[in-house]
Amino acid sequence: MTSLVDARGVSKNFGSTRAVDNVSFEIEKGKILGLIGPNGAGKTTLLKAVLGLTDCEGHLSVLGFDPFRQRKQLMQNICFIADVAVLPRWIKVSQILDYVEAIHPNFSRSRAEGLLQQTKVQAGARVKELSKGMVTQLHLSIIMAIDAKLLVLDEPTLGLDILFRKEFYANLLNDYFDEERTILITTHQVEEIENLLTDIMFINDGKILLDSSMDTLGDTYIELQASGDDAQKARGLGPIAESEMFGKSVMLFEGVSREHLVGLGDIRIPSVADLFVAKIKEARK
Amino acid sequence: MIAHQLALIKRELWEHRSIHVTPAAVALIVTLGVLAMLMLASGFAKELEMAIFGAQNIVGDAERRVALTGFFLMTSWVFLVALMFVTVFYSLDCLYAERKDKSILFWRSMPATDAETVISKLLTAAIVIPAITAVGIWVTHIVNLIVTSIWVSAKGGDAGVLIWGSISLFDNWLAALLIVVASGIWMSPFIAWFLFVSTWASRMPMLMAFMPPIVLGLLEWIVFRTQYFFTTIGTRGDMTPLFHSLSVERFFKEEQWRDGVQNISLLEHMDLVGFVTDPGFWSGLLVCGILTTAAIYVRRYRDDS
Repeated sequence: MTSLVDARGVSKNFGSTRAVDNVSFEIEKGKILGLIGPNGAGKTTLLKAVLGLTDCEGHLSVLGFDPFRQRKQLMQNICFIADVAVLPRWIKVSQILDYVEAIHPNFSRSRAEGLLQQTKVQAGARVKELSKGMVTQLHLSIIMAIDAKLLVLDEPTLGLDILFRKEFYANLLNDYFDEERTILITTHQVEEIENLLTDIMFINDGKILLDSSMDTLGDTYIELQASGDDAQKARGLGPIAESEMFGKSVMLFEGVSREHLVGLGDIRIPSVADLFVAKIKEARK
Repeated sequence: MIAHQLALIKRELWEHRSIHVTPAAVALIVTLGVLAMLMLASGFAKELEMAIFGAQNIVGDAERRVALTGFFLMTSWVFLVALMFVTVFYSLDCLYAERKDKSILFWRSMPATDAETVISKLLTAAIVIPAITAVGIWVTHIVNLIVTSIWVSAKGGDAGVLIWGSISLFDNWLAALLIVVASGIWMSPFIAWFLFVSTWASRMPMLMAFMPPIVLGLLEWIVFRTQYFFTTIGTRGDMTPLFHSLSVERFFKEEQWRDGVQNISLLEHMDLVGFVTDPGFWSGLLVCGILTTAAIYVRRYRDDS
């Protein structure tokens, strides 16, 4: 495996606030990594560091480049959607295609136009005349027509309805992603993306709480639904979180062998959302 | 690099439509003004031997040449005033608006550096807008010469001699181009200051651009009772090195009484060598370079997103 992103001891301060605190991680080629964290956790700052939009302490290499100092080279092989509203409102669809074609060496105009033909976005329309969903379709069409090695998506579907959100991720998976490409994504709507992720990272107060592949998540974390004496026995194994549901105790275990829990209740792999809530609560204790 | 600059400048023209709309509007206003003057003049046709551009008493060859060149200079001056307003508003808006509407995140997602972006805006303000203004002057001039020719011909005059034969078109047009482009370069320290304010100001860039110099000038006057700062800024506006100590009044007087049949050459009154060898030219470029670097630095390191 080849590391596209290599971060070691990365930190970023804003005055006395430590937004990213001594973070280390790697992202390998062909992965879809979800960076999940509550508001103010430091995920956008970390993404900005990866994109070379902000400087940081420590060692950070993206595609072999120092992102802040070699931004121009980096941007030829990386693209990002920061928010649905960032496309300039005054520009025409045809003009934005002209511009990207002239500026980006890896942009295929014919591919972008082909993708746009599947939507209602007209070449002569200005961005301000498009609906929020259509702006996202336009942005995604541009991004998907760029032959980039790393795609960074920061809350890409914010403010979109469920239909557009589903379509966005379906297009991303079907028309864009392949083993040569890597996607780094942050979103609050974690339930919608957990099935497409290959890896997951939780961040809180600038620190990484969890860095795991989705495949091995079930080996480390187990959710148990138990009641009565079984619940009492399970509590003795040290769950990292516990809640009540329909009269049963729902417990989440980390690093506890499956054999110890079999027979105490229903066992399943926790959802990313449940795991996220449990890890954040644990970190705040 | 050049392909990037062309794409970035094209983008500026798309976004800031006032760059081409304003010269077009000025051209229309000047043309309508000329038409109005001609119609007004035709009302007194009995008293006029030949009225050109409303200058009713022009009868001699030399006077007519002065009037024609005078009209051209007047047209150019109107365009120059419009150029000044367009440049100030453009320079103050171009790096501020992208932060305000957050489109800076999209622009920065493309492989164009902050230096390329800021330089494209400087080139737009200092070279492209003046060049478009020059084209506006040429088009307005030619349209109005045609309109006047039709009017003169209708009055029985020979437009070929009276109008087209009395003005050095290419001399005047080249002079206009040199004047507007030279003005952009000469004023580049101010443009760079506006660009710096545009990328630095959190709000009200217009106020932020004009307030510090005004306060500085007033402080100098209050403390030292001198006005060097205001004088330095104010006198830069007359572009002295390009025209030396040319007085407009004297220019017309001298040209009006000049013997011979030669048409007026505006280029003769310009000193390009003196302009580019003047210390003010180079010190201006130095200030422009420092402020542009500062604007690039602020855009690069500022985090508004």
